[in-house]
Amino acid sequence: MKAVLSATHWAFVLLMPILMIGVINRVKSWWAARKGPRLIQFAYDLRRLLGKRTVISDTATPLFRAGAYIVLLAGFFAAAMAPMLGRFAPLQFSHDFIVVAYTMGLARIALMLSAMDVGSSFEGMGTAREASFSAFAEPALFLLIGTAGVATGMTSFADLIGALRETQHYAVIAAPLVVALLILLQAEAARVPVDDPLTHLELTMIHEVMILDHSGPELAAMQYAAAMKMVLYAGLIAALLNPFDPFASPAAAAAVSLALILAVAVVVGCIESLTARLPMHWVPRYLLIASAAALASMAVIGIGASV
Amino acid sequence: MNQLILAVVALVSGAVLCLLNMSNRIRAMLGLASQAIALALVWSVAVPVLTGGPEVSGGVAWAYPINAIRVRLDALGAFFLVWSLPMTFLGSVYAVGYLKKYFDGPRHVGVHFALLNMIALSFVLVYTGDEVVSFLFGWEVAALAAWQLVIWDYTNQRVRFAGFNYLVSTHIGLLFLVAALMILYAHGQSWDFAHLGRWLSANHGATRNVVFLLLVTSFGLKSAFFPFHSWLPRAHAAAPAHVSALMSGVIHKAGLYALVRFTLLMGTPDEWMGWFLIAFSVTSALIGGLYTVGQRDLKRLLGYSSTENVGIAGIGFGIGCLGLAWQAPVLVALGFGGGLLHVLNHAFFKCQLFYAAGCVYQVKHVVDVERLGGLFRLMPVTAVCFLIGGVAISALPPFNGFASEFVIYSGLFGNAGATVWAKLALAVVGAALAFVGAVSALSITRAFGVVFLGNARDGSLPPGHEASRWMLLPMGLHALGTVVLGVLPAVGFALVIGPVALFMSGVPGSPVVDALAGVAGTLSRIGLISGALVAAVVVVLLVRYARVRKPVSAGATSATWGCGYTLPNARMQYSGASFSSDFSRPFKSIMVLLRRQKAPAGYFPRDSYVVTDCVDAVERRLFNVIDHGDDTAVELSRRLREDDPRVAFAAGLAGVMIIAVLVLLAEGVLQ
Repeated sequence: MKAVLSATHWAFVLLMPILMIGVINRVKSWWAARKGPRLIQFAYDLRRLLGKRTVISDTATPLFRAGAYIVLLAGFFAAAMAPMLGRFAPLQFSHDFIVVAYTMGLARIALMLSAMDVGSSFEGMGTAREASFSAFAEPALFLLIGTAGVATGMTSFADLIGALRETQHYAVIAAPLVVALLILLQAEAARVPVDDPLTHLELTMIHEVMILDHSGPELAAMQYAAAMKMVLYAGLIAALLNPFDPFASPAAAAAVSLALILAVAVVVGCIESLTARLPMHWVPRYLLIASAAALASMAVIGIGASV
Repeated sequence: MNQLILAVVALVSGAVLCLLNMSNRIRAMLGLASQAIALALVWSVAVPVLTGGPEVSGGVAWAYPINAIRVRLDALGAFFLVWSLPMTFLGSVYAVGYLKKYFDGPRHVGVHFALLNMIALSFVLVYTGDEVVSFLFGWEVAALAAWQLVIWDYTNQRVRFAGFNYLVSTHIGLLFLVAALMILYAHGQSWDFAHLGRWLSANHGATRNVVFLLLVTSFGLKSAFFPFHSWLPRAHAAAPAHVSALMSGVIHKAGLYALVRFTLLMGTPDEWMGWFLIAFSVTSALIGGLYTVGQRDLKRLLGYSSTENVGIAGIGFGIGCLGLAWQAPVLVALGFGGGLLHVLNHAFFKCQLFYAAGCVYQVKHVVDVERLGGLFRLMPVTAVCFLIGGVAISALPPFNGFASEFVIYSGLFGNAGATVWAKLALAVVGAALAFVGAVSALSITRAFGVVFLGNARDGSLPPGHEASRWMLLPMGLHALGTVVLGVLPAVGFALVIGPVALFMSGVPGSPVVDALAGVAGTLSRIGLISGALVAAVVVVLLVRYARVRKPVSAGATSATWGCGYTLPNARMQYSGASFSSDFSRPFKSIMVLLRRQKAPAGYFPRDSYVVTDCVDAVERRLFNVIDHGDDTAVELSRRLREDDPRVAFAAGLAGVMIIAVLVLLAEGVLQ
């Protein structure tokens, strides 16, 4: 059973980035009354990039070559411990969520250093934004985990997210936690309203400007890793809401998670079509909403236990 | 016992030999040799104690009122001793490289090495002293020797000021410590730690609380907790790199040792003490972390990060205290184990970072991040060591900082709190710790990215080359330790099991092994994951670049994409100040940004500049208050004297009365 679930989990991790990007772009084209690209266009883009030759800045050090692959591999390691199908992750042990958060932190620092490595002022600017926004986002994730941990009494990521549904105040805290996760997704995966992946002006970019000097397979690795990060957060939302136990009814759990992840993609696409990107100095405040939502659910747990 | 006395004799005679009249080179080698001998002697005693052997104790009779100088080496002292001495030795090796250019000059370099010996001596005294006198003696030897080491470049007035600032601060700390110890002596009637401990663990109440607060203040000053940190960045920026490294990584750990030692003596601390320690430490970690973001001076930046890291270790100790108060063995193990492990890990990566900063200073003669850049290609070994240290200090896997913070996090998210609110409060502390981690990742990315990556910003600096081997070797060894403790975290955990067991003996029904086995298992699993991550990266890179071993074909490298601008130059790269400005805007009140500028004016502007610097808000306010207080007092007394001498006399009398009343009231409260 575990092998089947693991295989499904990895299939999600590997394939959903392509599908999620496809769905978001399709939703955006619907809103713009366009036909839109194919659902798996991202896969074709990746294949095109893989076939290209790499051009590297002459300022770059060996770090630059390693950066893209550290980002990608650290993403895979984090994906092994993050739940997606409900209360299950292929690699699960107590306090693994710290490893997940910090492995993603390693990916982030590798991304930021390879951006700084080419000595471009624009990439430095993107790095500074990424670093400061992620600092504002980081506490929200831990507050959320702390809430779930205290509510469930569990210590592993998959358990405390997956078992939250069985706790007393789930109905009250589910909504704020999903909002917090959605904001984290927008911040970490560089989506509107935090960042706009389609902008053409370097001055307004965050993630895209950091990979300006990447090309060929390295660029493919960076783009795929970014999409995978989005899937991880969408998967967390799916695991939080999924009513099925993956061990009891694996097919239903997988189907519901798939639907939920695609629903998140639709929501992300709708937000992207209907709102503009926030001014840069509003972003920290927007990210604080995530922390506030998590703190509110903490208060619910605390008050719920005391009365 | 005898080995310890021999080690002291070796260090003292080495220090004396360093002062003799011979060439500087021989003096340095004598200093190193005596330290190596002392190191071997101390290890021969401390390693068995740490690995589960019996405690070593002994004493020498002494004159009244001391009666006896007692020495006792238990697992806690042995833990600190086992790494403090070798790191001091490595620091001295680094000093040979750093001071080489003075060896053939007229300056007496032997004094410097003698002082380094004194530092090692102070560790032996402080970590083995079992009564107040030898403990305080070692404490003071460390303070004075460190002061002398800081003012190596004493012809510079700023260096002398930094040294004096340190000297005054450390003695204010000493006053608090002496006050606490005198209260304890008045009640315990003994200089022995064991006696004091017996009194402390038996008498809960106001006196014990006062003693605890006095001790925390004193040790907070020693280890540079916020708000007692303002001397630290100054001293670290002024001192030679190895001295900053030793002060930050090793010497000031004595404050944390003393904190843990007195917690151990206290037996069962009250619950509020744990919470107080956590709040105090979180504040240090947060504010220290914020200050690292704005610094221009690489060594000041590292200095502030010491405040941040002692805060992180302090959170661990606070959790341990809560565990003792709640009788929760798992929390005790995770808290003290994580805190002590972080102390060790911090010693490894902080020295390494300071050594790298010292290498940069040796080559470029500045540590101002805004003037450096592109040093990776010039000095790759230093750059890689700085990077490893930086990733470790941001608590990222696969290096050692992650292992210790993981243990502390496990305590915070361990579901072992007494009430739901306590659990939630600990989780909020965990979120604060996550913020601190992200902030230190930001400031390390900024420091490393601006200094080592990109292009050189200032062409007027000397061209330079990689630093001397004497400096690279200690730095490399520290980097090796950082990697080994990260990939094999069980090694570090094995070192702290002994000291943690001392605490566990106070908690009923708690076999040490049980409480620690779970964490040790998780840690070794994390080690495997870290190792697998490193291996995977290496394999992928080999596969990717195996084909392009040959010089990359023409056209594969190109200029950095300038976003359409065709004439970018190195000064246009993102600077450290611009990097931190985004982040520091919401924290304006803490991170005071000074800005001096002259805008270009006229058709042919000649002279224009912008200088920004992040200054220490606490220190500024401190000096402000001192200035104003001084002014007010002077103003007041001047006015009084002009009016009528009798009023001045009456006012003085009233002042004396107020002080006397305060003393009497305090006596009443304390009794």
